[in-house]
Amino acid sequence: MSRLFHTLVAALVVMVTAMAARAAEPVSIPVLVPITGFLALEGTAQRNGAVLALDTPPAGVSVTYEVSDTATSPEVAVTALRRALDRFDPVAIAAPIFGTQMLAMAPIANRAGVPLITVSGTAKITELGHDVVFRFFPTDAVVKVAQARYAVRELGVKRPAILYQTTAYGQSGHGHLVRTLAELGIAPVLEEAIDPGIKDLLPALERARAAGADGLLLQLHSGPTALAVRQAHGLGLGLPIVAGSAMHQPSTAALLDPAALKGVCAETASAPIADARPAVKAFAVAFEARFGTKPDAFALGQYDGVRMVLAAVAGGARTAGAVRDWLAANRYEGLAMSYVSDGTGNMAHDAIIVCYDGNSRVPRIVKRYDAVDGIR
Amino acid sequence: MRAIDRRGWVYALMALLGFAALAAAGDGYALRIATLVGIYAIAAIGFQLVFGHLGLLALSQGAFFGIGAYALALATVELGVTPLPGLLIAVLVPALLGALVALPVARLESHYVALATLGLAQLALLLATNLEVLGGANGVYGVPPLTVLGVNLAEGWPMLVAVWLGVALALALGGWATAGRRGARLTTLRDAPLAAPALGLDPMGYRVGMFALAAGTAGLGGGLQALDLGVVSPAVLRFDVMVTLLAIAVVGGRGSGLGAVAAAALLVPLPELFRGFESGYLIVYGGAMLAAIVLLPRGLDGALARMVPRPAPIPPRQGTVPPRLGVALRVEGLSRRFGGVVALDGVSFTVPSGRIVGLIGANGSGKTTALNRISGLDRVGGGEMWLGKTRIDTLSPARRARLGLARGFQHPEIPADLSVFEVVVAAAPSGEAAMAALDRTGLIDRAREPAASLGPAARRGLDLARALATGPSVLLLDEPAAGLTAEERDRLSSLLRRLAREGRALLVVEHSMDFLLPLADRIICLDAGRVIAEGTADTVAADPAVRTAYLGREVVS
Repeated sequence: MSRLFHTLVAALVVMVTAMAARAAEPVSIPVLVPITGFLALEGTAQRNGAVLALDTPPAGVSVTYEVSDTATSPEVAVTALRRALDRFDPVAIAAPIFGTQMLAMAPIANRAGVPLITVSGTAKITELGHDVVFRFFPTDAVVKVAQARYAVRELGVKRPAILYQTTAYGQSGHGHLVRTLAELGIAPVLEEAIDPGIKDLLPALERARAAGADGLLLQLHSGPTALAVRQAHGLGLGLPIVAGSAMHQPSTAALLDPAALKGVCAETASAPIADARPAVKAFAVAFEARFGTKPDAFALGQYDGVRMVLAAVAGGARTAGAVRDWLAANRYEGLAMSYVSDGTGNMAHDAIIVCYDGNSRVPRIVKRYDAVDGIR
Repeated sequence: MRAIDRRGWVYALMALLGFAALAAAGDGYALRIATLVGIYAIAAIGFQLVFGHLGLLALSQGAFFGIGAYALALATVELGVTPLPGLLIAVLVPALLGALVALPVARLESHYVALATLGLAQLALLLATNLEVLGGANGVYGVPPLTVLGVNLAEGWPMLVAVWLGVALALALGGWATAGRRGARLTTLRDAPLAAPALGLDPMGYRVGMFALAAGTAGLGGGLQALDLGVVSPAVLRFDVMVTLLAIAVVGGRGSGLGAVAAAALLVPLPELFRGFESGYLIVYGGAMLAAIVLLPRGLDGALARMVPRPAPIPPRQGTVPPRLGVALRVEGLSRRFGGVVALDGVSFTVPSGRIVGLIGANGSGKTTALNRISGLDRVGGGEMWLGKTRIDTLSPARRARLGLARGFQHPEIPADLSVFEVVVAAAPSGEAAMAALDRTGLIDRAREPAASLGPAARRGLDLARALATGPSVLLLDEPAAGLTAEERDRLSSLLRRLAREGRALLVVEHSMDFLLPLADRIICLDAGRVIAEGTADTVAADPAVRTAYLGREVVS
């Protein structure tokens, strides 16, 4: 009996030691984001948000990570994913903001059962039945509704002109804007597709004026957004502008004189530099201290997403499958908002509107749209 | 008969080492890189046909790669075609487009080809980005994996094997298209663009065929990539793909399919090796590319050729070139203006079969212009030209050559990469006929030597040999004796007399009167584009107008 007892105790000690060792064993969360190419700005924000989260894991969690550039082609992204899956045995992956890359990566990650944590806005990535995609940025079904509603209901725009990019981001946003405006009983007077390479938007702005527009809705990437705002100001267009989330990025505002920003508003998921809540302020300070730049909503969304993964690991989810299930089943109070899956991996459901006063490049949060898609 | 190229063994050894390394690494990531290498190698092998063999910087190869990918994606996702027939569609659609594009583009040269094909690539990218039927900026997703007889080849070794079978197919097709006489003709079209049409080679036909083949090969690569990724987006049509293919072709070595495979194996994994540099990896990658180009100016295949030279093909036994005899050349009212300068003004003459006619005149009198007009290299101007009973002035130079009109050049364009035999066989109906022509010009013993190694006299002989290899009835020669020694001139005179005696008509432009006057049956003298004298050598030499205009007055003190 005594011998049996000692054996059991020894076995228990071994098991506990093994479990402790496993708990201390680092988990791998590779960061695969576009840090070169036309999405470098957004991808770098993603990278920095993820890295800040990974560098400060919760107590008891040890993490390893490697950053890989996915550039802007699906091929490079899939290669980076294949490498991450085969060489790092990850529990989750911080995945690119670029929707086309996500569409290529999702089936492979799905076969491997590894969650992809992204801030991509492309609607399709959560509509294909893969249960590994988790999006920590509101979709166009949320932010575009906020953008259109703010323009129409708060600014009284009745004849908007829409300038949108000829990319997945631009085309998707344009579709949602037109749909929401129709629901509000508004028809745009101009819808113009803009190639990301176009360096002069004056012709498009003149066409908006000629069409009799009383407001400008932008769905452009960072550089073109800054160009449109600067040229609209130079032209003396005098129309209210409600831009896409690119306008809220400090790096976009940095391209403009504060005076040119007067009256310009933008939709976004969050605005870390404009948010007065202490936790968000602390995040913004830590971010700027670490990377020398101010954080934007993409950085905060990716930060929150990776923090939620780490919370899952801290909560005992030590495998990719366990992390995936934890993300799908739990609510997480992030810095930007409260995240919960709608059943397809869409975790963010709130949007805000920020506006610039013409004196500073730091915007002010003027309106919150919570649970726009009905998910609470 | 083909000589054994030992470079093939070197490439085989490299492939073996590559696969051994792959088997040792063995994970999905390494297999994916090797799969990507194969996909780009396929498209680059095709690009070598146009860029390497035709010498045309066609920047549409990347677009055809993307078009193949889109064709497969649309066929499988939208039309429900299974992946294997989808691959056939991925080849056929770009091949057809390539042939259509080649029709206008093949008439262009050098940078105009680059500009026109770049425009096509941009158009394809714009259409893919903006057309809803092509999925817009998101592209087409949900491409099913490749399955053969129910076996899923989605990734790993099965996909790798499928892609490398595609590489083998592309190499076989490329090898077939550039082997033997066809290869020599392509090289002649590339390196001797003036001489080639005069030898009966039609650039249009070759260019259209090679464009189609290159585009089809690119489509195969693109189709395989679509199957590999499961997604096709406008990214596949971006200029990056073209830059990658161009880099592979340059580093691989001009025209070499195996070199392209080796370069793809070197360049495609390179960015992966530098991933650790994060955003700085592009600088390191660019530096490595630059180093490769500086250190290997003729590419991997060129460097290998210096160590293991390509053996010249073993020539066949000598045969005969059946000439089309008894046909005379007749020219009536030939005229040509260059702006305000009248180069030819109503020139008429006949070169009967079995006769040698000398065409003389001072520099600028219109001799070479007349040869260009007759051979069709210059088709602007008036007048009629007849080859026997066939009027030829509306025909292309290649068509005139095929009717029996051959031409030698004052400065022969001899492709440096070919052997003496290959230079001639490019113009000949058979290897045996080429050997017969080399025999006549005394070069048969040098058949396997590189053409670049010949001295000036031998190069003239080679130019004459390839003209003879076409089996001409009328031969136009532009200063054939220039730079020859007295002994070489005697041999040339004897040969030209023999050719005339056999029934050919010879029109010889020459400045060397001591060579031409004893040789020619009749002499025509041009001055300022007009015939000022015509007759036997003695008559013309004594003509005061000729003496004034060309031969010079005797000064009596």
